[in-house]
Amino acid sequence: MSKREDILKLVREYYQQKFANRSFDPQHDLVHYAGRVFDEEELVNLVDSSLDFFLTANRYAEDFEVSFANFLGVSNAILVNSGSSANLVALTTLTSPKLGDRRLKPGDEVITVAAGFPTTLAPIVQNQLTPVFVDVNLGDYTAIPIQLDLAISEKTRAIFMAHTLGVPFDLDAVMGLANKHDLWVIEDNCDALGSLYHDRLTGSFGHLATCSFYPAHHITMGEGGCVVTDNDELARIARSFRDWGRDCYCAGGENNTCGKRFGQQFGSLPEGYDHKYVYSHIGYNLKVTDMQAAVGCAQLNKLPSFIETRKKNHKAITEILLQYEDKLVLHRPTKNSDPSWFCYVVSVREDAGFTRNELTRFLEANRIETRNLFSGNLLRHPAFEKINRRVVGNLENTDRIMHNTFFIGVYPGIEETHLDYIASVFDRFFKGERV
Amino acid sequence: MGMPQKIRCEVVRIINHGGNVYSLKIKPERPTPHFQPGQFMHLAVDPYEPGDFWPESRVFSIASSPTKRDHLDITYSVVGSFTTKMEQKIQIGSEVWAKFPYGDFIIQSKSDVVLIAGGTGITAFTAFLERLNPDQEQSVSLFYGARNQELLIFKPLVERKLEEVKTLSAWYFIEEGELDEKERVLSGRLSVQFILPKIIHPLNSDFYLSGPPAMLKKLSLDLKSQAIMPEHIKIDAWA
Repeated sequence: MSKREDILKLVREYYQQKFANRSFDPQHDLVHYAGRVFDEEELVNLVDSSLDFFLTANRYAEDFEVSFANFLGVSNAILVNSGSSANLVALTTLTSPKLGDRRLKPGDEVITVAAGFPTTLAPIVQNQLTPVFVDVNLGDYTAIPIQLDLAISEKTRAIFMAHTLGVPFDLDAVMGLANKHDLWVIEDNCDALGSLYHDRLTGSFGHLATCSFYPAHHITMGEGGCVVTDNDELARIARSFRDWGRDCYCAGGENNTCGKRFGQQFGSLPEGYDHKYVYSHIGYNLKVTDMQAAVGCAQLNKLPSFIETRKKNHKAITEILLQYEDKLVLHRPTKNSDPSWFCYVVSVREDAGFTRNELTRFLEANRIETRNLFSGNLLRHPAFEKINRRVVGNLENTDRIMHNTFFIGVYPGIEETHLDYIASVFDRFFKGERV
Repeated sequence: MGMPQKIRCEVVRIINHGGNVYSLKIKPERPTPHFQPGQFMHLAVDPYEPGDFWPESRVFSIASSPTKRDHLDITYSVVGSFTTKMEQKIQIGSEVWAKFPYGDFIIQSKSDVVLIAGGTGITAFTAFLERLNPDQEQSVSLFYGARNQELLIFKPLVERKLEEVKTLSAWYFIEEGELDEKERVLSGRLSVQFILPKIIHPLNSDFYLSGPPAMLKKLSLDLKSQAIMPEHIKIDAWA
């Protein structure tokens, strides 16, 4: 046995000693809203990658990108260092001069929602585009289709929205509108990996889509994210924005992959200037390490079972909360969708007789973690209050979400014992117990 | 361009065409990634361990069809140290590594297409030719030159496609050996003076050039001197 095999055998033993056989103690343990779920394979891959000591993206990143693209049924997956970076890269890709008249230019309008995570919106603002906000449904928390129609103007060039917390937005409406008005579509699929719409995976409908691999998400590599596309031109531009804005597409540590490293002329550079240092975009460095990708490879193998567990847990929580439906708006899918749920979202009805904060305070006091639906209404946050924007209607539901909505976990770390405990805590609250 | 992958391959066939020109058929250990006609691969013959740095490699057009994902064909001429090493080292059963797909020398023209290939440069066009359908409406004109008849390696493919595709036409050029005008084999080097009169709408056609650097340089300059706009001239140039 080689030293490497010795080390990896020890890693497996270490996993058993350190992480295996953990049981839930409701008197002491938190019921997390999300968390990393892993076994020895993640640790083995991580150490195996570290023993390569290549450090930057290499064989595991290549494996992950290929497998992930195959999973979604698209031709390109571009690993980045977070879901937020994926959103930045995806939206910025559409501003590339390489797209000619199809590019997004400052002042062009992008339709989105305010009830979400800030880094869906931030790249729109950062690229000097104008966000146009539509309201969302209570219950599925996705854009109201009729408002999308109302949002269209002569300046509208793109739709960039999340499949909120796992629930696919109305892709029939969105893609229909995009085709009719020649719009770009970016699916923020960060919270919806594995969700289906008409039996097809979300993330495979738009021109571009994004995923997140932060530990709260369906699979994790610590920090990590991905841009996916079936369009080779967009993929090459996205890689350029990820990799400093360079024109060359050689991977780290590689040279002259195109065979034309010293044989081209760009801008006003001299003929034959080293292509490795030719920049066609004002880009970033948003790459991952091979250690992150190594963890991702092991996680990706588990994704189908993770998705099934999330669905099972979501269904179980629906059954727990169904009896309180007169007080709570329960989490539901959109038509034609089969969500890979990120969490279980609850809105406290206006006439419930208690507030969202009273309920979440009680759950938190009993070690059940809760989270608000991210920002609630992004336009009420200091960073976004004064941004240039257009709003369709009054975002009434978005404000309701800000006041009344929260979520709890359905992630695969939640088991029968957790579900029983969640049921008992809700029962105590609805019998009048308070903190 | 799809996502490049590094794949271990086994050499399963070697054809010596004479004149230091060889064709290799290599079998990848897993189905090849999707690629498009005209794209190329890097081939490495030195040992490679995934996780290490990629070894010295050279680029070759992928001559085989993208629909055949269980093998890859390349053709090479021994012209430098790397191809000399290939000639000396590669045997049936040898392990080599391929990294692909790369390149944007992809024929996507809506207008008429003129293909000009010198020697092994024809491999940039073979997958495209293979894919041509009998109901192809676009006119495709191929001008294919080699040192001698034996090195018109892909002439059988071209002849087969000429039978199938009415909008395809082809002329061959050889620099030495016997001519056969019935077979449209002409003497001399590829020249713009010969090519342009054969094209019905030269100013509205896209010209794709693949072959030795000196040929590419001369023909592209000559085309430009005949009022062919630079954007209509695509060159498969590797420095």
